[in-house]
Amino acid sequence: MSLLEVKSVSKSFGSLAAVREVSLAVAKGELRAVIGPNGAGKTTFFNLISGFFPPTAGSIVFDGVDITRMPAHRRVALGMARTFQITEIFPELSVAENVRIGAEVAAGYSRRPWLSRKNATALRRRVEELLVLAGLAAKADRLVGELAHGDQRAAEIAMALALEPRLLLLDEPTAGMGDQETYDITQLVRRLHRDSNFTIVLIEHDMRVVFHLADRITVLDQGRLLAEGTPKEIAANEAVQAAYLGKVA
Amino acid sequence: MSVVSLPATRRLARRPMALALIWLLLLAAPYWMPLAGGYTALGTRVLVLGLAAMSLNFLLGFTGVLSFGHAAYFGLGAYGAGLALKFATASTPLALVLGTLLGGVAGAVLGALIVRRRGVYFAMVTIAFGQVFYYIAFRWNSLTGGDDGLRGFSRQPLHLGAFTVDILGNAEAFYYFVLLCFAIAVGMMAFLLRSPFGRTLLAIRENERRARFLGIPVELHIWLAFVISCTFISLAGGLDALLNNFANPRELHYSQSGDIVIMAVMGGMRSFWGPLLGAAVFVVLQDYVSSLTTNWMSFIGLLFVVVVLLFPRGLLGFLQRRTDA
Amino acid sequence: MTQLLLFNITNGLIIGAFYVLMALGLSLILNLSGIINFAHGGFLAIGGYFAFTLTPYLGFWGALLVAPLLTAILGFAIERVLIRRLYGRDPLYSLLLTFGLAFIFQDVTRFIWGAQGLPVSVPAFMAQPLSLDFFFITGYRLFMVGVVAAAVALLFVLLRYTRVGIRIRAGTLDLDTVAALGVNVRALRTLNFAVGIFLAGLSGVLAGGQLGLEPTMGDGLLMPSFIAIIVGGVGSLTGTLLGGLLIGVASGVTSVFFPSASEAVMYVMMAAVLLVRPRGLFGEEGMMT
Repeated sequence: MSLLEVKSVSKSFGSLAAVREVSLAVAKGELRAVIGPNGAGKTTFFNLISGFFPPTAGSIVFDGVDITRMPAHRRVALGMARTFQITEIFPELSVAENVRIGAEVAAGYSRRPWLSRKNATALRRRVEELLVLAGLAAKADRLVGELAHGDQRAAEIAMALALEPRLLLLDEPTAGMGDQETYDITQLVRRLHRDSNFTIVLIEHDMRVVFHLADRITVLDQGRLLAEGTPKEIAANEAVQAAYLGKVA
Repeated sequence: MSVVSLPATRRLARRPMALALIWLLLLAAPYWMPLAGGYTALGTRVLVLGLAAMSLNFLLGFTGVLSFGHAAYFGLGAYGAGLALKFATASTPLALVLGTLLGGVAGAVLGALIVRRRGVYFAMVTIAFGQVFYYIAFRWNSLTGGDDGLRGFSRQPLHLGAFTVDILGNAEAFYYFVLLCFAIAVGMMAFLLRSPFGRTLLAIRENERRARFLGIPVELHIWLAFVISCTFISLAGGLDALLNNFANPRELHYSQSGDIVIMAVMGGMRSFWGPLLGAAVFVVLQDYVSSLTTNWMSFIGLLFVVVVLLFPRGLLGFLQRRTDA
Repeated sequence: MTQLLLFNITNGLIIGAFYVLMALGLSLILNLSGIINFAHGGFLAIGGYFAFTLTPYLGFWGALLVAPLLTAILGFAIERVLIRRLYGRDPLYSLLLTFGLAFIFQDVTRFIWGAQGLPVSVPAFMAQPLSLDFFFITGYRLFMVGVVAAAVALLFVLLRYTRVGIRIRAGTLDLDTVAALGVNVRALRTLNFAVGIFLAGLSGVLAGGQLGLEPTMGDGLLMPSFIAIIVGGVGSLTGTLLGGLLIGVASGVTSVFFPSASEAVMYVMMAAVLLVRPRGLFGEEGMMT
């Protein structure tokens, strides 16, 4: 059974149809890349899955639960975590605090006025674990707003991981990054996928990253599903090539 | 590797020296104030407004919510305590509790109505609702005394078993009573801000969208912060009524809300104790300027303008920059 | 009974028209620049006082035209020197700034013109009631409504058909795009602000003729303006227009049945709108939320 099933989902803004009847099924442990030329509706699609706004048609089922109209924060509680194209973090708090807040929510502490020593220690350990995983242990006390772009993205991913998600949605994780940072983030995502077995859906423009990481690829163009398949199949797909090349011409 | 001392909480905990100094100053106020040309009741007023400003800042500086109608809850606390003393009880602490409850409940109800709004719209609505109470205080003559304010009550000496504390006649005794209430309130606020719940408020301030996408039910948390803030500010209002043995309808006007906000901003919104400093400066300045000229309103207005244009981070923010650099 | 009701509805419409004039100015500024102009009441008062000072030289009609203009010029100056610096910042700061300005205005007007209420003379033919039945409709009140109607009409024409007006409306929806299209957004904001203040000044002149002048006269009108905007819907001038009339009428009608609650009813309406349709009657979803 798929972890995430998106059934013929559409989204229109007034007369602008941003997403048209797109379907997608992601199996547990899969890494799916969503690609497409600019304006293909990828981020809108993500917004539908993560609960930014409801679709105008279609349904979304997450691990057997219909989440089509569910508000964002409840989808998070169900196990969906997301990062944004423009990194969304808490700039004037430290890296550790950023991650800690995520961990506290995941542990159900978000309305607790107090933590017992036992719980506090367990939490602290969890935060350290996540920081190490994201490669940020050395920068734990730095204010996130002051970090380099790549580190901010890693921090954002660490925060998402703190939620103990079953599905990770990464919106252009390497956006705006130079080669080294792109490499680091790609390695991080790879570790998460291969070693920790996370189910991941990511939007990417950088084809090297896509072909390096993805199990399967979904291609969108002008809001519609253009193609879906393994990286090999997609690379050979003429319609996909036309969609990309056509845009350039 | 330990992540125990995290920057924001370190900021809150204060360096212990600074904290000790603050409390020392507060405890010894009735002694050093006369030497500086002040008087005890002025110190009490600073505590009261400082509490009000710190309560507002719980919402403004720490949750990032632009609430501008807080004077209403201050007033509700004042009238609540006054009416309680006038008609219901001779116990000052009980009257305080009743006043605080009135403001807190009002905050809970109104907060629920407005918690989905943000930014300037939220500010507008909080002001408009605040004015309802101002208007009620003015119009409901028979109960509130209307334009003249609520009179005919006074704080009562505290009878604690074997001995009596004369907070009515003795200004110093009352100062310490207020300081005690202040300490409890401030302690609770600090405690809350340092808790997991408090951190979610910081998260909401820093990046509401991210907070939502971490699974924090933002509206609920803002409502909770709103209720907490209103409760403590109505405590301040109750104390104010006790200080003056009088409840003034003008203290419910939105201009009073503005005063409280400027105290918080002037002292430093991002710091826990900043608003107290802001309140001290404001009260002293107002006291001083109004004794010099009838145009003190212009000076207050000018103060607003100057703070906004030149010291948006407030005095403590300004000093912090200096020491960081 | 019906006559009493009619009486009060009409009265309410007249009051409402007044709220509309004030609220529209406030709304214009709020929509384009995201600023709540607390000093709006102060500008109103200044407009009235300017008219008072100018009347001996320019007569009633001259003052009616020139005073709002002068007030607008003052608004222009203040926007350029002070308010403009706060646009990129947290809305808290512009709120506090206009707050402070309100205090200063009130004090300065008191300083220059004195704290006593000043009587304002209107042309004699206007002071007469039109009929004994509708004794409250003096020529002046009708004149006021006429001026408001003319001003509102002119405003809507400005916004609909002039280039500047279209830019303002576009800017309300998406200022970034407007800027990207090469429009001088700073100048646009200044002009928009000045127009809003012109309306405030005009309100002041009219109010002076009806109520007399005193430094705090703007205060009492600020809240109804807020409520008109909230009820009508933030972001919509039509909403503000209808909101103002609605609360005026509601206020008028309530004074038939519960005279002391006529002010309260505005707040009740606001609460009702917030509960049932938080974006206001004509508000756009997502405006300012």
